[in-house]
Amino acid sequence: MAQVPVQTIHRDPQLFYWILLPITAVMILTGVLRHYATVLMASAPKKLDQKTTREQRALLRGINVRGNFHTLAKPSFDVRRDALTTAYESGAYLKSPENRGQAPPNPLSDPSSMEGMMGMMKNQMAMIIPNTLIMSWINAFFSGYVIMKLPFPLTIKFKSMLQAGVATKDMDPRWMSSISWYFLCIFGLQSVFNFLLGSDNAASQMAQQMGGMAPNAGQMFGPGVDPDKQFLAEAENLAVIEHYSVLDGVEQRLLEGIKV
Amino acid sequence: MAPSLLHPPSQLSPAAALELSQQAPALLQSSPSTVSSSPLGAIFSASESPELWIKYENLLLSCLRTGDDLAAQQCLERLAARFGEDNERIMAFRGLVKEADAQHPGKLEAVLKDYEEILKENDTNIPITKRRVALLRSMGRVSEAVSALVQLLDFSPTDAEGWSELADLYLSQGMYPQAIYALEEVVILAPNAWNIHARLGEMQYMAATASGAGGSSYQKHMAESLKRFSRSIELCDDYLRGYYGLKLVTARLLKESGKPAKQNDEGGLRLPDTSTIERLNELATAKLSEIVRHSTAGDRGWRGYDEVEVAAARELLSEDASAASRIER
Repeated sequence: MAQVPVQTIHRDPQLFYWILLPITAVMILTGVLRHYATVLMASAPKKLDQKTTREQRALLRGINVRGNFHTLAKPSFDVRRDALTTAYESGAYLKSPENRGQAPPNPLSDPSSMEGMMGMMKNQMAMIIPNTLIMSWINAFFSGYVIMKLPFPLTIKFKSMLQAGVATKDMDPRWMSSISWYFLCIFGLQSVFNFLLGSDNAASQMAQQMGGMAPNAGQMFGPGVDPDKQFLAEAENLAVIEHYSVLDGVEQRLLEGIKV
Repeated sequence: MAPSLLHPPSQLSPAAALELSQQAPALLQSSPSTVSSSPLGAIFSASESPELWIKYENLLLSCLRTGDDLAAQQCLERLAARFGEDNERIMAFRGLVKEADAQHPGKLEAVLKDYEEILKENDTNIPITKRRVALLRSMGRVSEAVSALVQLLDFSPTDAEGWSELADLYLSQGMYPQAIYALEEVVILAPNAWNIHARLGEMQYMAATASGAGGSSYQKHMAESLKRFSRSIELCDDYLRGYYGLKLVTARLLKESGKPAKQNDEGGLRLPDTSTIERLNELATAKLSEIVRHSTAGDRGWRGYDEVEVAAARELLSEDASAASRIER
């Protein structure tokens, strides 16, 4: 059986100094810069006025009562349930009771929600612009170079990942092109940024992408949600609770559970 | 347990507070005096950690308590340099320092007026609202403190600290139903806090003894008190206050068990039967004496009980023993 001959490509050692190192350095520097740019651009969270706070926390209180009703005895729970349901249904906690029953304002025309979107836009921009620039820079200067050979063998499937921009059919997948090194840097510099900037840095794009996917907690009170509907739903949730209490039979559990 | 600057110093004994505040010069010397708040400055200046600011806050409180106003002022200046004068927490600390510096009641009035000015501009400033309540309370104007606190809790009903302070205020006025209601709100917010359960048991017991035996509410309060203490022990099975309260309640119930009271069936809690109460009483007595014995001997794993509480438990046990010997004679 014929051995596959080991491919050797004679590379200029200067490739290492003039391509590999600059790409890495530029990637790290842009990460650091992006972190500080995000910190500088971040706007302070907007202050809520008293009525909004009241509306949101009154709803939270209902949720808490619903979640932890079992810590209360039945009379105490009934008092709370009656009070909360009445208040929710009459709209006593609403920020603007006169707007009850109207359709919620369009979130796009609401100026208060625009700010949140602007913040998101800014973050996205801080990610997209530098990446576009660097990629075009690499494409313009370094495209088509094979810059390094990985010290371990790989299957053919990795070819498209490692040799982007180098259109050769038979080359061993261990050879790596400059644009692939760039992609590797994007995803692999996470721990370097953690080391340089602390663990909650804004440079890591992975974290931002993950954050974009997960539903954020602020959604509950976000724009376009009608608080009146939320209150009514919560009143219904409270009304259907079948009450039991941890205090029922606690002394029996105690006598069985604790031995001196 | 040595006091640490990383925990809020509100529960410390005077000696421990003094020990903490004596660390002030060393800490103030060893940490950099200014940390820039701008992100550009942060690149070049010394690194900071959240622990440092927690330490400053706790040091500030300890120093105010032990009368080291100079060190407290320094802590405050450093905090203010980092977080800015308009930070709500810093505003509250500044007010606290001013309150401590006030020499006569007129100055306190001035501080109170400052608070009201701040609140007029921004009525959601919760730290300042709380300072105002505390100041009103310490000036003896309890009803004003209560109404201010009720107003705070109206727009922020998820504030456990506020509810427990309200419970304490009502309790000091002997308004037991209101106090119990407020403390139940705390239990809703922290359903597994055994100390709150025990505190609620204590309040129910106080309400029961205040209303006098025989009433229908007496039964209800005693039953809930018994159950609250049991729940507190269920959550933390070496909790001295829980056992102490359980023993107190069961002893009282056993003493009265000669006259069977009518149980009201209004959906409330019912007292367990007498044999269960007896067994609970035995359990509490046994566990209390175990805690007292080990804690007095200073055994491993039994330290950390409050000396005062252990002494009270010992007293309760000895009272119990003398009563028992009297019956035997």
